[in-house]
Amino acid sequence: MQPITPSVLQRIARGEPAAVRECIDEYGALIWSLARRLSRTPSDAEDATQEIFLDIWRSAGRFDPAQGSDKVFIAMIARRRLIDRLRKTTAEPPMDSVEVLDTVAWSEPGTASETSVEAEQAARALQELRPEQRQVLELGLLHGLSQSEIAERLGMPLGTVKSFMRRGLIRVREFMNIDAAGVLSEG
Amino acid sequence: MSETGPQNLPDEALLDLLIKQATEGLSAAEQRALDVLDNATASAYLRDFERAAAAVSLAGTPGEELPSALRARLEDQAQSFLGATPSPNVLNFEAPKAAPVTPGPARGQAWGWLAAAACLVLALFGWLRTPEVVSTPVAQEHDLPPVSVAPPPKIEPTPSEERQALLARADSIKVTLQATKDPAAKGVTADVVWDPQTQKGFAHFAGLATNDPKVQQYQLWIFDGTRDKRYPVDGGVFDVPANSPEVVIPIHATLPIRKAAAFAVTVEKSGGVVVSALGHVVALGTAG
Repeated sequence: MQPITPSVLQRIARGEPAAVRECIDEYGALIWSLARRLSRTPSDAEDATQEIFLDIWRSAGRFDPAQGSDKVFIAMIARRRLIDRLRKTTAEPPMDSVEVLDTVAWSEPGTASETSVEAEQAARALQELRPEQRQVLELGLLHGLSQSEIAERLGMPLGTVKSFMRRGLIRVREFMNIDAAGVLSEG
Repeated sequence: MSETGPQNLPDEALLDLLIKQATEGLSAAEQRALDVLDNATASAYLRDFERAAAAVSLAGTPGEELPSALRARLEDQAQSFLGATPSPNVLNFEAPKAAPVTPGPARGQAWGWLAAAACLVLALFGWLRTPEVVSTPVAQEHDLPPVSVAPPPKIEPTPSEERQALLARADSIKVTLQATKDPAAKGVTADVVWDPQTQKGFAHFAGLATNDPKVQQYQLWIFDGTRDKRYPVDGGVFDVPANSPEVVIPIHATLPIRKAAAFAVTVEKSGGVVVSALGHVVALGTAG
């Protein structure tokens, strides 16, 4: 997993000006895509994208390729920012299916490795879930619906939604072979 | 593969709080509750779940091109960032180590959607009446509005122009939709053109009844032959304003369409639904 050449994030951390702009090229599509799905309006998505990039540039020094891929690092930062913004705004759900959701792709196992090893692992874990479990994860993680909103939309008890989300994420976590102490499980 | 089983996990209540924090954030009361319970192990689990949620997001989020105006804003922002004293790191990213695993084979799936879609088509076609002409619609844009900052004047093609261009392509999928006997569909002619490569498409309607967006909206659905037939993919909601003879609707599939097999339009509550009961279908057509 250790890259031979320093990643854009590592180069930002080293203070290379060109890397800051390269970061836009390399991760702009991913961040924009996440922001569109987890923002309430297109304008929110644009503002969020700018905030996320600032977070990334400022946090680049925290990136450790031995602990995970650059894209997961980016996605974690983006999701934190987007969740924070969602919680600070009104109770309306994110843009979701209403207007702006564009393509949301569950990668086919075997194809997600181009994105990251972790995405490939997640895709394989998702394949093992029952459709209704997968749908709960999809609505929560990709469409930004709260568990209560998922329960309402699917006509499902909130406890069931919680259970599906819990089991689903635990399954993904198992496929990612991580444990709470950060110790690798044996593959 | 060895697995870290649930027996190693914190109790269910704590898990639920951690997962909620990782997926949607906590209320102040929930955060206080977690703070009381929190410890190093819980923090590590939180990072695990954040990481798992991020990986799922990656698996389900193909990149899409940044709008040019937003890119310009980001480049300006980068310039400002470079000109300023770097701020201290704001996020405490300490993701646990991960190693590639050798996952088991994916399950084969035989959905049998086609039979169901065909049954639905047959059922709906049985209702068909001779269309009556009803004038209405106007084009609805579902794309993001232009960003207002630093916009070099740029003429974007209209949905109608994009649809025409797509229709001219040999590799696009063209589907004629059949109207049902639903009152909203009387006299409707409709078609869809879909590009499997770019995952873009347009639906064109003439004569679809005007809707009140505060009450009901139209929603387009795509039946993907590789997916569960019970869950057609949401293609977006749209409105038909008064005094508009035609509408051209850009289709925004919320999932990648691997094999576009059928398209349907339903009437749903305002804002659309995630899963349609397909109880109020106004138009439907199968590909091929």
